[in-house]
Amino acid sequence: MRARRETDRQGLLRQDGVLAITRRRAPVPGTEPGANERDEEDVFVAVFDDGSVAAFNGHVDLGTGIRTALAQIVAEELDVRLDQVNMVLGHTGRTPDQGPTIASETIQISAVPLRQAAAEARRTLLALAAARLGTEALQVSEGVVSAGDGRSVSYAELLHGAREVVPLSGAAPLKRVEEYRIVGQPVPRLDIPAKATGGLVFVHDMRVPGMLHGRVVRPPYAGLDAGAFIGNSLLSVERDSVAHIPGLVDVVVIGDFVGVVAEREEEAARAARELRVAWKAFTAPASLDDVERALRENPSTRRILRDTGDVDAALAGAARRLPRSYSWPYQMHGSIGPSCAVAEWAEGRLQLWSGTQNPHMLRAALAQLMAMPEARIEVTRMEAAGCYGRNCADDVCGDAALLSRAVGRPVRVQLTREQEHLWEPKGSAQLIDVDGGLDAAGGVAAYDFVSRYPSNDAPLLGLLLTGQVKAEPAVLQMGDRTAIPPYDYPAMRIAVEDMPPIVRASWMRGVSSLPSTFAHESWIDECAAEAGVDPVEYRLRYLKDARAIDLVKAVAERAGWEKRTGPRMKAEGDILRGQGFAYALYVHSKFPGYGAAWAAWVAEVEVNRRTGEVTATRIVTGHDAGLMINPDGVRHQVHGNVIQATSRVLKERVSFENGLVASQEWGGYPILDFCEVPEIEVLMMPRPEEPPLGAGESASVPSAAAIANAIFDATGVRFRRVPFTPEVIREGLRPVMQAEAKRMRRRWFAGFGGLAGGLVVAAGAAIGWASAMAPAKPPGADVFSAAQIERGRLLAAAGDCAVCHTTPGGVANAGGLALDTGFGRIWSTNITPDVETGIGAYSFAAFQRAMRQGIARDGRHLYPAFPYTAYSKMTDEDLLALYAYLMAQAPVRSVVPDTKLAFPYNIRPLMAGWNLLFHRPGAMEPDPAMPAEWNRGNYLVNALGHCGACHTPRNALGAERGGAARFAGAVVEGWEAPALSSLSRAPVPWTEADFYSYLRTGHSPRHGVAAGSMAPVVADLQALPDADIRAMAHYLASLNPVPAEVDPAPLVAAAAMGPRQGGSEGARLFQGACAACHGGDAQEGPEVALALNSNVHSDRPDNLLRVILDGIRPPIPGHGEMPAFRDSLSDRQVETLARFIRANFAPGRAPWGNLPQAVARLRATPAH
Amino acid sequence: MPAPREIALEVNGRRQVLHLDPSAPLLAVLRNDLALNGPKYGCGLGECGACTVLLDGRAVRSCVLPLSRTEGRRVTTLEGLGTIEAPHPVQAAFIAEQGAQCGYCLNGMIMTTVALLERNPAPSEAQIREALAHNLCRCGTHMEILAAVRRAAAERAA
Repeated sequence: MRARRETDRQGLLRQDGVLAITRRRAPVPGTEPGANERDEEDVFVAVFDDGSVAAFNGHVDLGTGIRTALAQIVAEELDVRLDQVNMVLGHTGRTPDQGPTIASETIQISAVPLRQAAAEARRTLLALAAARLGTEALQVSEGVVSAGDGRSVSYAELLHGAREVVPLSGAAPLKRVEEYRIVGQPVPRLDIPAKATGGLVFVHDMRVPGMLHGRVVRPPYAGLDAGAFIGNSLLSVERDSVAHIPGLVDVVVIGDFVGVVAEREEEAARAARELRVAWKAFTAPASLDDVERALRENPSTRRILRDTGDVDAALAGAARRLPRSYSWPYQMHGSIGPSCAVAEWAEGRLQLWSGTQNPHMLRAALAQLMAMPEARIEVTRMEAAGCYGRNCADDVCGDAALLSRAVGRPVRVQLTREQEHLWEPKGSAQLIDVDGGLDAAGGVAAYDFVSRYPSNDAPLLGLLLTGQVKAEPAVLQMGDRTAIPPYDYPAMRIAVEDMPPIVRASWMRGVSSLPSTFAHESWIDECAAEAGVDPVEYRLRYLKDARAIDLVKAVAERAGWEKRTGPRMKAEGDILRGQGFAYALYVHSKFPGYGAAWAAWVAEVEVNRRTGEVTATRIVTGHDAGLMINPDGVRHQVHGNVIQATSRVLKERVSFENGLVASQEWGGYPILDFCEVPEIEVLMMPRPEEPPLGAGESASVPSAAAIANAIFDATGVRFRRVPFTPEVIREGLRPVMQAEAKRMRRRWFAGFGGLAGGLVVAAGAAIGWASAMAPAKPPGADVFSAAQIERGRLLAAAGDCAVCHTTPGGVANAGGLALDTGFGRIWSTNITPDVETGIGAYSFAAFQRAMRQGIARDGRHLYPAFPYTAYSKMTDEDLLALYAYLMAQAPVRSVVPDTKLAFPYNIRPLMAGWNLLFHRPGAMEPDPAMPAEWNRGNYLVNALGHCGACHTPRNALGAERGGAARFAGAVVEGWEAPALSSLSRAPVPWTEADFYSYLRTGHSPRHGVAAGSMAPVVADLQALPDADIRAMAHYLASLNPVPAEVDPAPLVAAAAMGPRQGGSEGARLFQGACAACHGGDAQEGPEVALALNSNVHSDRPDNLLRVILDGIRPPIPGHGEMPAFRDSLSDRQVETLARFIRANFAPGRAPWGNLPQAVARLRATPAH
Repeated sequence: MPAPREIALEVNGRRQVLHLDPSAPLLAVLRNDLALNGPKYGCGLGECGACTVLLDGRAVRSCVLPLSRTEGRRVTTLEGLGTIEAPHPVQAAFIAEQGAQCGYCLNGMIMTTVALLERNPAPSEAQIREALAHNLCRCGTHMEILAAVRRAAAERAA
């Protein structure tokens, strides 16, 4: 029997057929004394009796490819093939605890014992082979040891039946660089084939038998982790609000932690969306509208990192002072996959599958959260979407653990995009004040640097939400990374104001080094320009580090650095071109820290001085990482750093509203896309003789200053606030440019109040009671012919009965739909033939009276929310057919709530007066002067279809107006029913063919998609034959003069560029949230160009806003599905987006004037 | 929420008959009912492209596509292109060019590329970038992904 490879530490060490290199460590907290002696021994490398090797590292692969690089190191030192090595990363039961995977430490620091262990294993195996073969003159290749005489023995053979546990001495001889065959060679990543073919790799793909799906409902204090309200703001959770959801297993509430568990993922998602939770009001601690001010006002403690020379005296004596401030915004990891975890809690043990960056640290936090010993928790690290520091990967593990324990089954929790955006610990904002001066010769006299960086290690959210840990933010010393400039200035004072976070913030790629270097490298560039010296030459005067000097020179040469003594402002039309330089040695970890790879950038940019757009056109990056384990891996990391950093510098800023994070999706937090990616050249310094250095972050560090310096070269203007969005650039260039230039479908209530209402009271009181009609026995199924019933079915469809008489998901025509009106809530009635609760006791005469006069069988007046004013025009023959159909339905017992309007509207007899004034009962007579198709259309539109009920405005008493106002458009339940007459605002006129297409399919490619109240109407029209739809189209088209044909193509083309240019927040919201489908060809479905969309051209923003908020569920699948953005965009973002859409896609129309109010009003209108 | 009903479709060449809510997002059905790993949840809003699948050969976003839309139609996921032993040429090109860092967006990149090359076998650099403009990658793998698309196009032409 072969040794088992997939086993925990203890299992590994308790079997034969294994060589293990181990190191003792302190026992895991919670381990019973003496219980697991072997659990106190870390294994670094194990060689098995089948020749395979397992190697263990406490760090994880965050998408950087270190799995491959570490395997190369092990294969090299052990002299085995790369494919013999299986790297086990970040597994609490198997790998050593080497701390979180941060600060580019994996290759530089945590790989050191791994390499030594591999060498130790090789030395042990060689000793075994020497004993076996009787000679010490041995060679190893691919795991086979050979003597000079042709005899050989493999590692596998040496380990048969053996159990060798060897302590890691650190003294085994390491290979010399010249002997390397695997390290230093470009090697394809080991993980990509499985990822490219859908293998089980990611934690998101983990499935455990019996697994349920969980979602969490987070508190409203989005993204905050400090404040007295945290963990104690929950008022109530209405479990009944989700009781109707099938598959719901549990609603779990612990303090402010709220989660739902269901059998199916979409059920859990729905439950999380619909669960009614009430929270206390809270006050966000600081307004982050002005981040710089918030940072200045945040309490802090000054820590001096370096103080050399007499800074104060040097400043006082400087020939020129250059006091400058540099700021950096809050930014996001923005992992493409929101965090996910699977937890299985059973019998006092917790098994977790996680995408964590720090499995051991997570285990300690989970032990605290679950009040159980660490030794009973096992964290298996699986791959996750790339994160660049601490995102929600750990938080979701806490969520999954709490939910699994509550339901006693394995639970998978998937955070939503919005939750990940809102709650991930952000990369912190940073503010740097530099005071400095130049001497008379243009040299640097002094450099006085103070940095503010409010960030810590972001405690596990579950600990805060459940109240187990008080939300009192720790102050960690994280603002000092690369705070000391790489230049040898004569007088220098470097200080950090250590401060707690303002919003949840923790380490993100480069930590505080990107902003610090932005300041260092922008400031020295300013000095060079002040001194009239080429910026590269100026830097070289102050650089003493030989490797830095080599790198700077090499990169300048490769990039074709153009020497200058000031900004060159090369212009071609509106485009200004520039080239900028920056250099950094990334110093990471606890101060004074370690240097990782050296990096330098030459950035080339184009600035459009009119639009403010900055395009990075070419980035040349030099990189010195010492020995590169996998040069391809290093190159890819440099590419990734360049692209991500360019994105951060040009585009990225977390927006805040009322102190809370407002960016919840990719429109609100745009990142660089393929069209914006610059040309990138990488110059890798060959230094195989030098120790390997971390490459995961360094290349991003010089980014901001290189780009800012290039913009200065192009424009002559310094930009000191990241990101360099078009607005910022336009604002900065303004002085230069100036110098150069010198559902309520039934809205009969509108206005039905006040004085007018009083009149009706008076008019109606005298005459308002109608008699009850005797209950009839429902007619049997055999009374009406099949043909009559079928005809009635079509009439019911054309008349949209089910639209109002059916609740979403309910039985057709059983009533109970609430119609919210300005006068109160009207409930639609049950029109199935149930005798007690429906219309089963209606004789045909009673039905006829109801349809023609609006009077129920019992004599009550019906409100004209029921469109009897239109139905009245139906022929007797059609009314009978409709009656036949309704009576042939299966009776459904369905008690609907009574409609109870407030006084005076509760006095139904008043309706008699209203009818006297406005209702003309009686069937419609055909117009002999018009063709049959027109007459049929007229009947369908005006009698059955009661189109005017929505599309014709009402008078003050709620009656449809006549004359020119017919079909002039109106607003119904927060939806605009647009004008069908010549008053239509559609940019391309509606033709008969357009009306036909819209009514038949639910969309017209030249106008839009039927949404809101119109969607169910089109769904019902599906039942009608084509001839009837054509008749309706014919009639509707006759309402307008024959329109002049408009070519839509130029309108569409003209609107295409705006989103792409991203010149405003609205444009960027559109580009990120909408453009994939609207113009981006990323979804199947009717492409209605927004430039043609009736809603965008309307006088009212209502329909556009409602579609943005609530999406579109089209009447016919495939005709215009759109997701709802209600939970993804703030009111302000919806308003900004709508304003952009109006300006860009309907440029001829005036801006909508009342957007903020309209958004607030429509958000408050429930979606039906 | 509509009541569950029987919906038949073809997924990766096999007929599937599912009794489900027709409004369920295709993504959830593929991942949870058919145990496919390829399409990934990224945003649920059709913004990022991680969930891309082919519907009758066209790249679509399964997170915002109701199951009912696929009735009687042909859905292809990453798994349906090729296997780790015998990858599809586009998968092979992405492997050869190392077109992944974390690899979470990789599904969308590959599926979008397959659809692109079907309709335009020899795309220009600008056309490639335009086709991928709404597929987001956060790790900055764009260089390698572009190289993979160029390689796949070139190998198709060869």
